[in-house]
Amino acid sequence: MWLPSSGTPTLQVHDFSPGIASNGLFWIVQVPDDAVKITEDTLTISLKNVSVVDQFQFPGGAGNNLGTAGVPATVSFDITYSKEGSPRHVRPTSSDPLSPLNWAGKMWMATNSGTFSLAYNDGSFSAQGNFSSSGNFGEIGTERNGSLLQEDDELDKPDTEALPPVQHQNSSTDATQNETSKLAQNAPKLKGRIPVKALVHEP
Amino acid sequence: MTTVSRVACTLCVLVVCGCPLWGQVQPVPIPGGDVIQSFGLFNQFLPGVGSIYDGMDAEPHGITNFRGVTAMGYTLGLATDNSGKTYQVITDIRVYQGDYVGAQSTFPAGGSTSEKAHGTFVEI
Repeated sequence: MWLPSSGTPTLQVHDFSPGIASNGLFWIVQVPDDAVKITEDTLTISLKNVSVVDQFQFPGGAGNNLGTAGVPATVSFDITYSKEGSPRHVRPTSSDPLSPLNWAGKMWMATNSGTFSLAYNDGSFSAQGNFSSSGNFGEIGTERNGSLLQEDDELDKPDTEALPPVQHQNSSTDATQNETSKLAQNAPKLKGRIPVKALVHEP
Repeated sequence: MTTVSRVACTLCVLVVCGCPLWGQVQPVPIPGGDVIQSFGLFNQFLPGVGSIYDGMDAEPHGITNFRGVTAMGYTLGLATDNSGKTYQVITDIRVYQGDYVGAQSTFPAGGSTSEKAHGTFVEI
């Protein structure tokens, strides 16, 4: 988090999310299917007045960020994610259920930008603004995980050949050296811990 | 109110309170996630390239047993509040749409069994 003028992380004063569900589901809320429009190259989502809470910061926010402690609010936003380049085929390289590498997919790098507005339910605070990926990491594609990982379907097959059966050992992604180097250039430019959606102001 | 009436009312309340869970397929979080000091495990990874991320092929999804479309991206932006104060904004908003196997209440006390469903979810 940064002051606009310095680029240095400062005080986080707002953090809006739906909260963490009792089963651990992290900042996720179900929305209507028609809130999302998907074309060949883009995904657009438009949401109005989604219930969230302001937990002020993460971690260490209201209620230690557990549950829905915090100030009730609503947020509305419109975001468009756009594919870039060629897809990479991600295959599970770990059979450890706790590993981040235990999923399969066909993913494109993506940019995104959007606008948002939010307001406390009591009307005492509101804000609006916009954001864009600005060279930071983003991706879009199709994936499967968990118990559906073993299913062999069209989601992550290469364009010209069938994907071999999922192997939990010794498998790898299809990203080429060129893609890796390109991705390295696309390394995130954010310097702080990212899983926060926050507003920072100059003290 | 008689004891029987009280019991009947209590049962009605319990049944009504339990009804919303019946028929709903609860998405199940991914079992892994990032471990943050002072917080513990949160069931979400941070895909990306760089020392503060889990790697470009890290799982972007927050729900397990899922098959469908995923979109995510980190952003920077600016906001202005109702008093004119300016803020810097960081977002990590993810969209998930597809089929999933979640938990459905099946047994009398709410015991779960797996159930297929379709849905759209947003991580805000």
